Amino acid sequence: MDWQGQKQAELWMQILLLVFSVGALATGYIIGSFRMMILIYAGGVVFTTLVTVPNWPFFNRHLLKWLDPSEAEKHPKPQKAVVSKDKKKSSKKRELDQNHPTVNGMEVPA
Amino acid sequence: MGWIGDTVDSVKSIQIRQLLTQAVSLGMIVTSALIIWKALMCITGSESPVVVVLSGSMEPGFKRGDILFLHMSKDPIRTGEIVVFNVDGREIPIVHRVIKVHERQDTGEVDVLTKGDNNYGDDRLLYAQGQLWLQRHHIMGRAVGFLPYVGWVTIIMTEKPIIKYILIGALGLLVITSKD
Amino acid sequence: MHSFGYRANALLTYALTILALMCTIASLSDNFNFPSPSAEIQVLNFNWFQKQPDGNDEVSFTMNITADLQSLFTWNTKQLFIFVAAEYETPQNSLNQVSLWDAIIPAKEHAKFWFQIANKYRFTDQGSNLRGKEFNLTLHWHVMPKTGKMLADKLVMSGFRLPEEYR
Repeated sequence: MDWQGQKQAELWMQILLLVFSVGALATGYIIGSFRMMILIYAGGVVFTTLVTVPNWPFFNRHLLKWLDPSEAEKHPKPQKAVVSKDKKKSSKKRELDQNHPTVNGMEVPA
Repeated sequence: MGWIGDTVDSVKSIQIRQLLTQAVSLGMIVTSALIIWKALMCITGSESPVVVVLSGSMEPGFKRGDILFLHMSKDPIRTGEIVVFNVDGREIPIVHRVIKVHERQDTGEVDVLTKGDNNYGDDRLLYAQGQLWLQRHHIMGRAVGFLPYVGWVTIIMTEKPIIKYILIGALGLLVITSKD
Repeated sequence: MHSFGYRANALLTYALTILALMCTIASLSDNFNFPSPSAEIQVLNFNWFQKQPDGNDEVSFTMNITADLQSLFTWNTKQLFIFVAAEYETPQNSLNQVSLWDAIIPAKEHAKFWFQIANKYRFTDQGSNLRGKEFNLTLHWHVMPKTGKMLADKLVMSGFRLPEEYR
């Protein structure tokens, strides 16, 4: 699952469960059946599981495009020697910034 | 070549930090559970605010595996209330309904008799030898709320300890292996 | 990171949280039910009235119970536990409550009833104070929910009197 897919899966999971719970509560209350509410909600949970848990193809529409290795070599990383006098933390951070790609302007969690 | 040493150092420090974070998060889980339990004890005034029904003596109201929320207040005990009581010489507390109350005029002490909804006779057979009434100090709390089935988790765990150890082991592994 | 197990775990946690919330709402919805139960109890006959060998008075009587408790049922009601208790005061005790008869009503259809029965549990005093004693008969009910808070209430019927003599 790609980054966009993860975001969508999480969003859909919450929306679907909320919609099903509200629907189940309303139906149960109106027809006066607690059992019906539980059944509808259980069905909703199963449906949501099927939609958001497996790695469906539609969650993989925004695959990362990694640079070709030969291409990457043409743009060498900045010299580490420059930052070696700084504290370890800052050097690590900069390294991370360089190595992680960004996709479609979305921030990538570090 | 100084930056190689730096990198090695930073990798080492990451592992130690991760280990510490995991230890702290594990501690957080344990202590927060403890805090919730103790807070419930304070709010409800009962020494065990949540009990699991173990017998079928209150069926069809309470089945085995249901959870009861207890509350201990200063209010006098009256017939019909479902109380949890401890009998001298018995370890496991009993959840039954009060069917008789006699409250003293002068001291305000109460004599209470209980019975399970599903039992034929009253509870005098369950009390200690020769005990006819329950007093206030026998009673741990009265049931105010109800949640079905959830108590099965604890029943299974106490009756099949292996499952408990497997579960604890699996959880521990998950916590250790999971990254942040 | 965002693996199959991670997503399944997140979904389970979220689903259970919402289920707990739904149960709470269902329990709270009982507050919008304003029941109007009615009941009447008549004492038909005192079958016998004796002083037991241990010195306690005991009495047995037949009563007629008519009640309509249908309005107590809501969608979150599992059952109704009802019982009739005699309540009286003696010089020794400021309150005596003795449960005489009880029943479990499993469904709304059975909540309108008429019974003629003798007391199911023994009506025994602590001591010998029952002759000529005035007492109340109270119909109590406990609403047992499918989940959540248990509710209880009662209807008091007063003005009953026990016989002056043993029989």
